[in-house]
Amino acid sequence: MSRSAALGLLALLLIGYVFVQRNAWEDRALTRRSSLPGYVLPSGVSRVLAMGNKGILADFLFLKTMTFFGERFQTGQIPSEADWSYLMHSLDTVTDLDPYFLDPYVFCEGVLVWWAGKIDEANRLLEKGIAKRTWEWRLPFYAGFNSFYFQNDNAQGSAYVIAAAKIPGSPDFLKTLAARLAYYGKKTKTAVLFLQQMLMETNNPQLRKTLGKRLAALEAASSIEEARERYLKDFGHYPEHLNDLVSSDYLEKLPLDPYGGRWEVLTNGRVFSTSKFSEQPSTKNPSGVQPVPQP
Amino acid sequence: MKKILALANITFKEGLRSRAVYGIGLFSFFILGLNITVAGFFMRDVGKVTVDMNLSALSIAGLLLVLFVGLNLISKDIDRKTIQLVLTKPISRYEYIFGKYVGIEMFVFVALFLLFVISCLTVGGLSVVYEGYFQGFVWSNFIVAAFFVYVKISVLAAIAVFFGVIATSSFVTLIFSFCAYIVGETLDEVVFYLKSSASSSEVVISEGVKKVIAVTSYIAPNFSVFDFKTEAAYGLALQPSRVGNSLAYGLIYILILLILSTFIFQRREFN
Repeated sequence: MSRSAALGLLALLLIGYVFVQRNAWEDRALTRRSSLPGYVLPSGVSRVLAMGNKGILADFLFLKTMTFFGERFQTGQIPSEADWSYLMHSLDTVTDLDPYFLDPYVFCEGVLVWWAGKIDEANRLLEKGIAKRTWEWRLPFYAGFNSFYFQNDNAQGSAYVIAAAKIPGSPDFLKTLAARLAYYGKKTKTAVLFLQQMLMETNNPQLRKTLGKRLAALEAASSIEEARERYLKDFGHYPEHLNDLVSSDYLEKLPLDPYGGRWEVLTNGRVFSTSKFSEQPSTKNPSGVQPVPQP
Repeated sequence: MKKILALANITFKEGLRSRAVYGIGLFSFFILGLNITVAGFFMRDVGKVTVDMNLSALSIAGLLLVLFVGLNLISKDIDRKTIQLVLTKPISRYEYIFGKYVGIEMFVFVALFLLFVISCLTVGGLSVVYEGYFQGFVWSNFIVAAFFVYVKISVLAAIAVFFGVIATSSFVTLIFSFCAYIVGETLDEVVFYLKSSASSSEVVISEGVKKVIAVTSYIAPNFSVFDFKTEAAYGLALQPSRVGNSLAYGLIYILILLILSTFIFQRREFN
C-alpha cells in the first residue's frame, strides 16, 4: 500500500472513529439513564476487596451513589422503590467501610429523609455515625429533628437535640432549640428552621436545589399558618377559606406552591398543598411518586 | 558494613535508572491531580477524601515500585547469571542479601519521599482552598500514616527478597510477592470476620480450621497493623503504644525474613 493510500485510509478511519465514538457515548448516556440501580456488595465482602484502602473505596462508592441520584434528578426521573433500596444499601456499605465519613450522613438526611421519607432507616444510619463521630453535633441534631418532626416522638427528639447541644463547638441556637422544637411541636416553622440549617451545611448543588425548593414551599405554608393564627387572635375563629386571609389583608396574596399544588388546611390545622410537595411523576416511572411524609 | 553500603549504593543507582520509575511517577501525579478535581465533589469531608486519596496513592505507588522495580533489582543478577561474577568478589552471601535490601529500601524511600512532598503540597493547597472543611486534620497524624505506608512497603520489599532467593525466575517471585501482598492486606478482615462469626455461632468452624487461621496469622504479615489512614483522615488520637508496637512488628518481621533469606541463599547453588 502506498503512503498516500495509507494516509487516506487513516483519515477515513479517523472520521469513522469520531462518528462511532459519539454514538457509543450517546448509547452509554441512554443506558445509564434507564439503568437499574447497581447491586451493592455487602460490606463484609467489599472491606476485604478494598485491600487496605477502605477509605478510598467508601469515597468512590459514595461518589457513585451521588452521581446515580444526580442523574435521576437532572433527567427529571423520580426514583423508584428499587432506587431507594439501592441508596439505603449503598449508604449502609459506605458507612460500614468508613463509619466516620460525614458526607453519607448529610446525604442520607437530605435525600433519604426529605425525598424518600424513610425515617426509620435514616435514623438507623445516623445512629452509626453518632456512635463514631462523637465530636459531631450535626448527626444527633438531624436524628433529633427526624424524631420530632416526622415520628412525633418529642421525648426522643429532645434527647437527641440536648445531646447535640452538649457537644463542644455546637452552635448556640441548639441550646434553646430543644425548647423551641417542643414549643412549636409539629408546626411548619420547625421544618423551616431545620431546613435553613441544612442548607447552610451543604454545598452540593443538587441537594441545595431540592432542599431550597422544599424550604420555599414550607416557608410559604408557614406564612399562611402564621396569618391564620393572627386571624384567629383577632376574630376568635379561623377563616373559612384561605382566600379570606387575602381579602382581610392578613396576606398580600396567597404564596405560590413551588411544586404547583393548591393550598389546603389539614384536619390538624396544618397548611399543606395538594402537590404534597413532591415532583410530579414522570410518564416513564409513574409508580415512583414519593410525596413528602405527611406532616 | 562498608560492603553492604557499597552494594546498596549500586542497587539504588540501578533502581533510579529503571524506566518504570517514570510510569509510576506519572501514575501518582495522575492520582494527586485527580484528587484536586474530585475533592470539590464532596459536601463536607473534603479533608478526609484528600487524605484518603493521598495515602492510597502513596501505598499503590509503593506497591508498584517494589513489584516492578525492586523485584527486578533482586532477580536480575540471578536471571542474567551475573550473580556468579558478583559472588567471586570478596563479598559474603549475607552481605549480598542485606546490601540488596538496603539498596531497594533507599530507592523506595527516595521515591516515596518525593511523592510524599508532592502530596503534602496537594493537602496543604486544598486545605487553603477548602478552608473549614479540614477541621479534623492534623499534620502529625498524616506524617505518621505516610511513614507507616513506607514501613508496609519495606515489609513487602523483604518478602520480595525472600521469594527472590527461593524462586528460580523473576516471574515466579512476582506472583508470590503479589499473593503475599493480597494475603497481607486481607488477612485482618478475614481473621476477624471468621472469629466474630464463630463467636456468634453463625458459622460452625472446626478446630482444624481455627488452628490453620492461628498459624496463618503468625506466618503471613498483617498489613492492617500499619494502617493509620482513619486516624490521619479524621485527626483521631494516636496511641503511642500502638505506633510503637506496629513499628516493632514491621522491623522484626523484616529482620526475620532477611535472615531466613541469607540461610537459603547460602545453600543455593548457581549453575
